[in-house]
Amino acid sequence: MRLLAIGIFAVLLLLAGRAVQLAFSGDPLAAQSRASAASTLPRGDIVDRNGVLLATTVRAYALTATPSRVWDAPAIADALRGIFPDLDRATIIRRLTDTSRDLIYLRRGLTPDQRDRVHALGLAGIGFETEHHREYPQGASAGHVLGFTDVDLNALSGVERGLDAQIRAAGESGGAVRLSLDMRIQYALEEELDAAARAAGASGGAAIVLDGRTGETLALASWPVFNPNQAGQATEDQRRDRAAGDLHELGSTVKPFTVAIALQEGLTNPGELFDLARPLVIETSTIEDHEPHVGMSSLREILAHSSNVGAAQLALRTGGARQRAYLERLGLTSASGLELGRDQAPLAPQTRSRRDVAGVGFGYGIAATPATLAGAYTLFANNGQRVRPTLLALASDAAITRTQVFSPEVTRQVLTYMRATVTDGTGRAADVPGLMVAGKTGTAEKLTGADGYDESRNFSSFAGVFPANAPRYIIVLALDDTGEGAAGGMVAAPAVGRTLRRIAPMLGLRVEARAPTR
Amino acid sequence: MGKAQLIRVFQVVAAVLIVVLAVGLYRAKSDASQKQAHVRELREEIEEREARLRELRAEIAQRESPANVEDLAERQLGVVVGSESEALPESAIDDRLPAPRRAESRP
Repeated sequence: MRLLAIGIFAVLLLLAGRAVQLAFSGDPLAAQSRASAASTLPRGDIVDRNGVLLATTVRAYALTATPSRVWDAPAIADALRGIFPDLDRATIIRRLTDTSRDLIYLRRGLTPDQRDRVHALGLAGIGFETEHHREYPQGASAGHVLGFTDVDLNALSGVERGLDAQIRAAGESGGAVRLSLDMRIQYALEEELDAAARAAGASGGAAIVLDGRTGETLALASWPVFNPNQAGQATEDQRRDRAAGDLHELGSTVKPFTVAIALQEGLTNPGELFDLARPLVIETSTIEDHEPHVGMSSLREILAHSSNVGAAQLALRTGGARQRAYLERLGLTSASGLELGRDQAPLAPQTRSRRDVAGVGFGYGIAATPATLAGAYTLFANNGQRVRPTLLALASDAAITRTQVFSPEVTRQVLTYMRATVTDGTGRAADVPGLMVAGKTGTAEKLTGADGYDESRNFSSFAGVFPANAPRYIIVLALDDTGEGAAGGMVAAPAVGRTLRRIAPMLGLRVEARAPTR
Repeated sequence: MGKAQLIRVFQVVAAVLIVVLAVGLYRAKSDASQKQAHVRELREEIEEREARLRELRAEIAQRESPANVEDLAERQLGVVVGSESEALPESAIDDRLPAPRRAESRP
């Protein structure tokens, strides 16, 4: 009996001690409070390389209704249309009177201001649900790169889709995904592309600026533009990304590779002269230059004056198998690698005839995106090594995979020819004094079904690298469906020149001042 | 001390302990629920402020966007990209500077 009493006493003593401890000890919820301080979001922010906010998740409201509590559906429909004129009155009334449903969503993504205005109406049966909304503060700028989501924040295009997992992880951790874009350069590129496309009467356009050493994309523009904040109001044509989503036969911007392959394989040398005066007849096809060359021409002149005959001769010496192997190493047979929802792989069928091999030599018979072409041009900034383009900002010590395509000597040799294209050849309009631009123009006639190529419809482009004395940056600008005579040197090269003049200071490069325009 | 007395003492102490236990538990539970409510309040406030912060950051980014700045510069300052904003040659700078003012003479 005594032992039982002592036992009960001991248990009570323990319980009392614990009660006193609980009553007077520190805050047991403090740790929990700290742990829950950072709230999670369904999608994290997207910022550019300088931390400029490109996409964020903000609070929004869904306008809801409980049909069983709605007394006067027509009056509510009229009141709501005063705030949202695009609401269809008949549809609203029908839904408000559908008492088989407990709750209906009338509209998603309301701003706080819109919610307050609806709230002030004091409508019976109308309510709100808090939700998240994706906001793109830069408006239409970089719209194709960023892409957009649906109302439930499911990624539909752009990096929203290409980097979906990382953006969701960033939302959970309260972080952000940092892109390699520089919005200052992006804006300048977009403006110049817009002006060039309008002036040339193009149906579309695309442009890209890369840091060729790392593959980081500093700007990626597509025209026409759309505002991802109102993606639903844009047409399919406006939403289409032409930089990494549209395939085109590239034309003469491929010629530097044709020359480099021939040099690399020892099939020619810088001192060789070519007879380009006469057209080249292969099987039933005739390859000729737009302006026939008089006398003998060097490799420099083949590139500077964009000779199809010269490029075809070099391609035929290379042969189909070797040409194919180089195209693969150049990345011209695979997608660019950009982290976008749609990154179109080139259309590069195996060449079956000498005519096909010759055509590839000057950019026909192989279709790629401007982004893929820019990726191939990175070898000019890396002594012959190609790097994969990316839209993610890389750490300074990030490992970069490089594919050796050409030797440094061959690369430098071709670079001097590309510089000559800008100083003395078809790309003179891209020259920016002080910046040492090297590049190549491209004008590819468009294939129009069974009718063959249409001379009056061109894909006009310029692909360049700068500064040529210490090559680092790559720029590709292309305009689709330009008219007859609108060669790359006439419509794309000037736009590149204007763009480079604007963005050079942003890249820490100096250009020579020119006389004021007024 | 007899056995009966000892039991009574135990009973009294046990009763006191039960009372202390009850009071202690009551206090602990009421404190915990108060704290929980406070934590909930704080959490809501944090979420509210974070949401507001995100809205403000989005608004700042929109206002600082190149398109907006260029539009403001054009409308309010008359500065147009591609004209006056281009670098001037050194020889042209003198023409653009305002005429020098005469130094005011002191009495």
